[in-house]
Amino acid sequence: MEKNIIIKVCMGTGGVASGGEEVLAKFREMITESNLNAKISSNCHAQKVGCRGFCSKDVLVDVIVDDVKTTYKHIKPDMVERIFNEHVINGVPVNEWLAGPEYNNFHDKQTKVVLSHCGDIDPEDIDSYIAVGGYNAAKKAVLEMAPEEIVNIIKNSNLRGRGGAGFPTGLKWELGLRIKSDVKYVICNGDEGDPGAFMDRSVMEGDPHSVIEGMIICAKATQSNSGYIYVRAEYPLAVKRLQMAIEQCLMKNFLGNNIFGSDFSFDLKIFQGAGAFVCGEATALMRSIEGKRGMPSPKLWRSAERGLWDKPTVLNNVETFANVPKIILNGANWYRKLGTERSGGTKVFSLSGKVRNTGLVEVPLGISLREIIYDIGGGIEGGKNFKAVQTGGPSGGCIPAELLDTEVDYESLARAGSIMGSGGMVVLDENTCMVNTAKFFLEFTQAESCGKCTPCRIGTKRMLEILERITSGKGKDGDIELLEELGNHIRATSLCGLGMTAANPVLSTLKYFRDEYIAHIKEKRCPAAVCRDLITFTIIEELCKGCGSCKRVCPADAIRGTRKSPHRIDKELCIKCGSCFDACKFKAILKV
Amino acid sequence: MEKKVKLQIDGKEVIAPEGMNLLDAGHLVDVFIPNLCYLKGMRGFGACRLCLVEVEGLKSPVIACNTKVREGMVVHTQTEKVRNIRRFILDLILSIHPLDCMTCTKAGICKLQEYAYEYELKNTSFIKKKMGYPIDQINPFIRRDPEYCILCGRCVRVCKEQGTNVLDFIGRGINAEIGTAYNKSLRESGCTFCGSCVDACPVNALPEADRWRKGREWEYTKIPSVCLFCGNGCDILISVKDGGIQKINTGEKPGSTKKYICAYGRFGYDYIEDRTRITTPLKRENDTLKETTWKEALSIIAAKLKEAGNETGFISTAGITNEDALALKRFAKNVVKTKNFDTTLSLYSDIHSMKDSQSALITNSDLIILIGLNPSQWSRVLPALDASIRKRVNRGGKLLVITSADIKIEEAATLTLKGDEITILKAIVKSLIDKGLKADIQLENAVKDAVVTEDIEKAAKLVEEAQNPVIFTSPSLFDSSANLTIIKGKVIAVGFESNSRGVALIGLTTEGKSYSDMVNKGMKVLYVIGEVPLNARPSHTDFLIVQTSHFTELAEQADIVLPSTTQYETEGTIIDYLGRLKKLNRAIDPIGTSKTHRDIFVAISKIMKSPLKKPSENEINKLIKVKPKLSFNPFIRRDGFEIAPREFIESINASVLRGRRLAWLKEAVAAIAV
Ligand SMILES: Cc1cc2nc3c(=O)[nH]c(=O)nc-3n(C[C@H](O)[C@H](O)[C@H](O)COP(=O)(O)O)c2cc1C
Ligand code: SF4
Ligand code: SF4
Ligand code: SF4
Ligand code: SF4
Ligand code: SF4
Ligand code: SF4
Ligand code: FES
Ligand code: FES
Repeated sequence: MEKNIIIKVCMGTGGVASGGEEVLAKFREMITESNLNAKISSNCHAQKVGCRGFCSKDVLVDVIVDDVKTTYKHIKPDMVERIFNEHVINGVPVNEWLAGPEYNNFHDKQTKVVLSHCGDIDPEDIDSYIAVGGYNAAKKAVLEMAPEEIVNIIKNSNLRGRGGAGFPTGLKWELGLRIKSDVKYVICNGDEGDPGAFMDRSVMEGDPHSVIEGMIICAKATQSNSGYIYVRAEYPLAVKRLQMAIEQCLMKNFLGNNIFGSDFSFDLKIFQGAGAFVCGEATALMRSIEGKRGMPSPKLWRSAERGLWDKPTVLNNVETFANVPKIILNGANWYRKLGTERSGGTKVFSLSGKVRNTGLVEVPLGISLREIIYDIGGGIEGGKNFKAVQTGGPSGGCIPAELLDTEVDYESLARAGSIMGSGGMVVLDENTCMVNTAKFFLEFTQAESCGKCTPCRIGTKRMLEILERITSGKGKDGDIELLEELGNHIRATSLCGLGMTAANPVLSTLKYFRDEYIAHIKEKRCPAAVCRDLITFTIIEELCKGCGSCKRVCPADAIRGTRKSPHRIDKELCIKCGSCFDACKFKAILKV
Repeated sequence: MEKKVKLQIDGKEVIAPEGMNLLDAGHLVDVFIPNLCYLKGMRGFGACRLCLVEVEGLKSPVIACNTKVREGMVVHTQTEKVRNIRRFILDLILSIHPLDCMTCTKAGICKLQEYAYEYELKNTSFIKKKMGYPIDQINPFIRRDPEYCILCGRCVRVCKEQGTNVLDFIGRGINAEIGTAYNKSLRESGCTFCGSCVDACPVNALPEADRWRKGREWEYTKIPSVCLFCGNGCDILISVKDGGIQKINTGEKPGSTKKYICAYGRFGYDYIEDRTRITTPLKRENDTLKETTWKEALSIIAAKLKEAGNETGFISTAGITNEDALALKRFAKNVVKTKNFDTTLSLYSDIHSMKDSQSALITNSDLIILIGLNPSQWSRVLPALDASIRKRVNRGGKLLVITSADIKIEEAATLTLKGDEITILKAIVKSLIDKGLKADIQLENAVKDAVVTEDIEKAAKLVEEAQNPVIFTSPSLFDSSANLTIIKGKVIAVGFESNSRGVALIGLTTEGKSYSDMVNKGMKVLYVIGEVPLNARPSHTDFLIVQTSHFTELAEQADIVLPSTTQYETEGTIIDYLGRLKKLNRAIDPIGTSKTHRDIFVAISKIMKSPLKKPSENEINKLIKVKPKLSFNPFIRRDGFEIAPREFIESINASVLRGRRLAWLKEAVAAIAV
């Protein structure tokens, strides 16, 4: 009996970093060496696939025998032989290495539209994409649909920009179509500067053709003949795969002149950005392509009217484009119904922080934060208590436990004092100091501010200084009010989104966790025992067994004591590194 | 006609042209909205955020510099909300600003100071920080002190717009600053020291290097005048205190970047009191030049001229005023009675090209065509033309360059056509005629054999689409270029001296021997006016008179030297390269006993008993008011005008370039070139 065996090795950036190439090579070697295909008259091949959003478990390997999929985690090249012999040849899975229910749970609770092919198809092979229906939508759009028709479908789908602001994509395209010009541009924003975010990278690496297909459809809809994909240079794999994809499209005539045999032409290029956070802002990004410093400019005209090189330009996010082919194929209604009344479809989030399962999750808009964190994320790590979730990247806000049932959509998150942003979601547990968290995010935005406008350049620095003094125990009466005043002013007066949202982490924590600020300022105490200058380490005599573990790890030589009798910490010498706290097996060290 | 819209600003009704921004619209009714980064004529930049105003119906304030007027708009510029915002922004700026207005050069015209006063900020409410940036002061022109910088980006934008591109934003966050590539000094960054950024800076971050304690802004008498150092004849504004020039700016309001002047025009004035300045007449005695009195010097000259009569030759620069030119012509013709009077104009142009050049404004032109000219800010050959063209291109104008050489301005061109200029011009004309544009029959015949290539086609399309093309041509190609204007556009032949056009119109053009003849063959008496590119006394010259402001090599070989005034010590008019009549005003008293050229001629004429009247304004106006008549002329290149522009301009300004600062510049450029 002939068996059909496919081995899929995860080779997103996470997979590659964990040794995916070697794992794949090993499988291929085994297949050839064992002469398997001849021997058991099977059809077996191994292929690479893109990221499936669960990189902490990489290298992930699927062994699919006649459509029955078994997933392994943490696979190293030296484990391949056993899997091959026991599972591939003899049909018995290696149970102890299985990814297990956690992995399946993580995936099963998601609704995959954008990520539906990621981790499934070979991103370096256009035929792999075509085999799952790829380019049917583009072909249909180019050959059979009028621009207005495409615009209407996108409008009706309620698709909104996934790059942050959530501007209705259909409206943007409609304006792009309406403006007449000999040259128009379509740009895909793949800058993805939020630290920790990797949704766009995963799509570009795992399913590059879906982005290109979305852009072709947009080009047809807005009657534009040239496009750019702006990718940060720190994403070499994404650049490589997009480049391969474009070349394959050119060969098939899906890009270039008279695509799909029509009279429509679309030329697409990749632009590698220098990777500053602010270059993700639309106007800064266009200046960057023009070879200028990536600095936002105020809009006298909308980009749709005057964008790149002053020509009409439609710019969308990677994920926004990746949704488009599916909408064209499945219809506006299907997509709209996935989401809420005002926002159609799904959104990919990068779930991280103190949650059990970290990774990429794609969920329908309107789902609650609780469902994402508990059902998909598996709850808080280490049995700790949930404290807050920070959404929207470095300029998002922190949402407290009381609001865990907030629906995830643009308006509800904004009401809760945060933003959707590009989809960062950091879970914070009881051990997190909210003042310190706010400071951490503000440090990032201040350092990334392009420095053009006064409030963002100087104002965020002044806020940061206040946070620094609060966390180091030098906070003063009035600091809270000053922070609020500064934050509100900066929000109201900054030129671009970076400045307008920079104060969000501070303002939202001031709103929900004001008592923590007060404790820092008035009592010189950090309730979560995080801020170094405000904590002390003491050894509780009754609990100390005199094992000396703490003494051995102390880098400052601050611990005194003889074996078997209680030790003491010299507060003058202690540099509060916390090593002893972690080293003590008897929980004899108190951190307050 | 442009459309107008009606709106209200602070309760005043404003009728403003469509597309105007609120800041400019406010100006129409004397509402001045605070701003630090706005540059009139450029797109709103949106950096300082000081111009935020409230518009009824909008949730949040908008920046006036980048918001267009709309019909029915109701704008409030002084609400409590925006005033608070402005106070907040100023407070932030002051938190990293030196705030030493009591000794600061900029006090009095500093915008930051003005707003701090208006918004009652004595100091910042934050803890004040020093950034500790180093000062760039290794050049004698500009002191760059980033500590004062408020990052308005004006300097960056003017420098970029004019194409010099020296400055840019660097760094991020609080550490963002204005810098040069690789953060080198201005000297090593290709800076031309034009000082455009100096005029643009609203604070004390880019003052002139030597300004400190040379007087406060309000102590200066401001005198508008014209720079005569090169063929551009730029407007300048001279600041005078205690009888001395303290600084020179463009002839525009501070903060405006409409006009340009180069380093010569802005910084060259320190040559006035250079040690080479001649303060009294000199006469040759036993092979050395000795001081003498005006009376004696002039009587010797009068006698010599009377004796030589028509064997006298006058050669002059074309960088003199119309008044001096007319006086000289009459002096030569009517008093000395010689036909030999000519200027350096004859070295690079015929008379017809100058006389029949038209008038035009670069700012109104949508297509500039540059033919056989190489203007350059870097070599300071017609630098203002180079800068103005680049600015125009950056504001949406197009540039077509037709050249047989490789030239720098090609980098700004919409299209460059390389090759023999005449062949190219013919082909463009042919292509235009093929497109159905009207020409005359002679022109049609003259170009019927021209070959139209794809590039020519493109160039012709640019001309066809333009509303208002202006051609700048080298004089030797004037006729060929002018033929294009039979179809469309205006044509201007550009000379290398400030009054090239004026001397041609006044008629200071020889009726006997030419400049070259006089120089090559010598004259019985040779009378040289101003600085000319001549270092050796022409042989067969019995008597040499040199009338100039500074000692030159030629002056050292003269028999009599008469001290004349510089451009800052005289008044008069010139016609600039664009055909505009411009007025020089006397900013300072003549140094020593120097006199204007015309006063000297009048004085000699009196001794010669044939008194000359000083030319009147009326006479001048009549002479220069000629309507150029352009008709078909054969496509030819006039020869005999093959001077090297850069060397020529440097030699007619040799003493200016010996001034302290420009001498440094010459050395610095030379040092970097190797
Ligand atoms: C500071 C800043 C950074 C941004 N970074 C990104 C980014 O990395 N990727 C992105 O798609 N959009 C980013 N945006 C949003 C873009 O300006 C723009 O709104 C978006 O790309 C439009 O596409 P969309 O309508 O598909 O969301 C950023 C905005 C700001 C203000
Ligand atoms: S808000 Fe910040 S990032 Fe945006 S333009 Fe201003 S300084 Fe630059
Ligand atoms: S916290 Fe660090 S420095 Fe302090 S006692 Fe413990 S180990 Fe030593
Ligand atoms: S730059 Fe202006 S505000 Fe600053 S010290 Fe000088 S005068 Fe005062
Ligand atoms: S002096 Fe001129 S060239 Fe130099 S930086 Fe200033 S504007 Fe630019
Ligand atoms: S140097 Fe002057 S003009 Fe340039 S950015 Fe700073 S303040 Fe503005
Ligand atoms: S461009 Fe010529 S006229 Fe203008 S300032 Fe410079 S030297 Fe003087
Ligand atoms: S790269 Fe393997 S799951 Fe992300
Ligand atoms: S003048 Fe409008 S932002 Fe500076």
